[in-house]
Amino acid sequence: MDNNLSILIVDDELSVRDSLSNWFIEDGYTVDTAEDAKVALKKIEAFNFHIILVDIKLPGMDGLELNRRIKSINDEAVVIIMTAFASVDSAVQALKDGAYDYVCKPFDPDAITHIIRNASKTIHLSKENITLQDRIKSLVNVEDIIGESEGILNVLEQVRVVAETDSTVIINGDSGTGKELIAKAIHMNSSRRFFPMVTVHCGAIAENLMESELFGHERGAFTGAQYARKGKFEMADGATLFLDEISTISMKMQIELLRVLETKTFTRVGGNREFKSDFRVICATNRDLQAMVNAGEFREDLFYRLNVFSITIPPLRERTEDIKPLTEHFVKFYAEQMNKETKHIGRRAAKALKNYDFPGNVRELENLIERAIVIGTGDTVQLKDLPLDHVAAKPTWESIQEMEHHHIQGILEKYDWNISRSAKALGVDRVTLYSKIKKYKIEKSK
Amino acid sequence: MSRIKIIPLQFAGVEVLEQMLPLISARFKIETLMTTCRLDLTPFFDPVRSQYNANDIIQKLVPLADEGDKIVGVTDLDLFIPVLSYIFGQAYLGGSVALVSGHRLVNARYGLADDPKLFSERLLKCIIHELGHAFGLKHCLLPGCVMDSTTYVEEMDQKSDQFCRNCKIQLK
Repeated sequence: MDNNLSILIVDDELSVRDSLSNWFIEDGYTVDTAEDAKVALKKIEAFNFHIILVDIKLPGMDGLELNRRIKSINDEAVVIIMTAFASVDSAVQALKDGAYDYVCKPFDPDAITHIIRNASKTIHLSKENITLQDRIKSLVNVEDIIGESEGILNVLEQVRVVAETDSTVIINGDSGTGKELIAKAIHMNSSRRFFPMVTVHCGAIAENLMESELFGHERGAFTGAQYARKGKFEMADGATLFLDEISTISMKMQIELLRVLETKTFTRVGGNREFKSDFRVICATNRDLQAMVNAGEFREDLFYRLNVFSITIPPLRERTEDIKPLTEHFVKFYAEQMNKETKHIGRRAAKALKNYDFPGNVRELENLIERAIVIGTGDTVQLKDLPLDHVAAKPTWESIQEMEHHHIQGILEKYDWNISRSAKALGVDRVTLYSKIKKYKIEKSK
Repeated sequence: MSRIKIIPLQFAGVEVLEQMLPLISARFKIETLMTTCRLDLTPFFDPVRSQYNANDIIQKLVPLADEGDKIVGVTDLDLFIPVLSYIFGQAYLGGSVALVSGHRLVNARYGLADDPKLFSERLLKCIIHELGHAFGLKHCLLPGCVMDSTTYVEEMDQKSDQFCRNCKIQLK
């Protein structure tokens, strides 16, 4: 199944080595064996095995000591301790010394298959994570972008890729997802970082002022224009121009913008002097620009001019694993700001936050936490401090398996663990129910 | 000329195996026949585990395979290999011998009504799966493929007795 992973089996019994090798070879792993610790260490020094199965009872050095030695040679190797004589002491010691798992011989075929598949998954995730983290570590000033989800790591990877170029970028994302933070990250990791990032909140500027805002104006250009004023294009010379809510600019302004983007030259309002400016454009939108183009609301030529590189920030509801680190970040931030003792999030409050959809995304979470810190007392944010009582009880199951697990557990409890009645209620036979109970490790609650 | 030989070893349902011969032959496109052999399995019994050692039985069957032949021993006995608590079958990748047990394929062993048809389907899947290994196929992740690794009978019931497209290509 996984031809890229290698397994070393260390056991003094030939039959065990043969049986396990054959089992794993059928799964597509590269397998080697060693009959004792000495041979194993030689092989481990010569080759980086991904997974090492070690029997505790070995001639000479025992498996626990071998585990420690393996960890000093190759800390990334996943070591699984095997034994025919299980004891709590040896299991605890093995796990303390960094073993991944501890299994008793003979194994249940399903159990060993799962252990190895989980180990493979861990190795792959760790490899992917290291690659991504290494590349993202090189990014500077991204501390404010909180998150460990695949979605946010992908965004950061795209930031890394595009920051090195001078290409125009469109950042897509729902309101409150942090588009400006991403724009800043791109800017701060580009060669333009020594210049400012000039931000234009297009939606906040009245149509009649937009031209002046972007192009600047000469003295006396219009009534009240007492002094000449630099526009954003001019200010952004050598820097980055961030056009937030680009979708809100008028058709007339779109034509002007396209012309400037193509020539990088402009004149101030009320003047004839031509200015040249070297800026990089990053824009952000919470609307589908392509759809706006199709609807005739946004110029196609401008869209293609802007849409050189596109980054989409997933909404918070699609990266719920980021809720916890974001919450901790905001608690720390606002507690310091308000000089409060708040340090923790209560269990029920955390659950309610996890269950909430956050239509307002990170901004909404930030506001919730800020409010909770204001009204809360003590060192912990409680559920009562959050206006989220209604979502606290919502189930958190995401996968069908989780749902099945909880449903079966619920039915078993309903019928007081009467297997026949539970199986009947579930519409399955008893054997299936038993196998599911075993699979999900469902236990009678005490 | 390569052949697949099915050898009942303390197996009661010989007629079930006879019905399977054309199906197995069709899957592998090789002549498949049933032969007998007088192999006493008593020495392979492990009294501690009350099971029979599959690895040792396989070793005894290896000399029975002629050049290019694949042998499948089929038994009602409960099999194990030293490191696993039980197995449905065993074969060496690209080897000449496979061994399959019907012991844990019987519905009655799980407290259910006997279902000879289901037993026969499970046994066929096991035989084809182990023969697949003997022909060099590894486990397949595609749900439904007979080479999917299954460790419970319920899982086995989820898969078919057919090879997926990829396994078929590899088999060729």
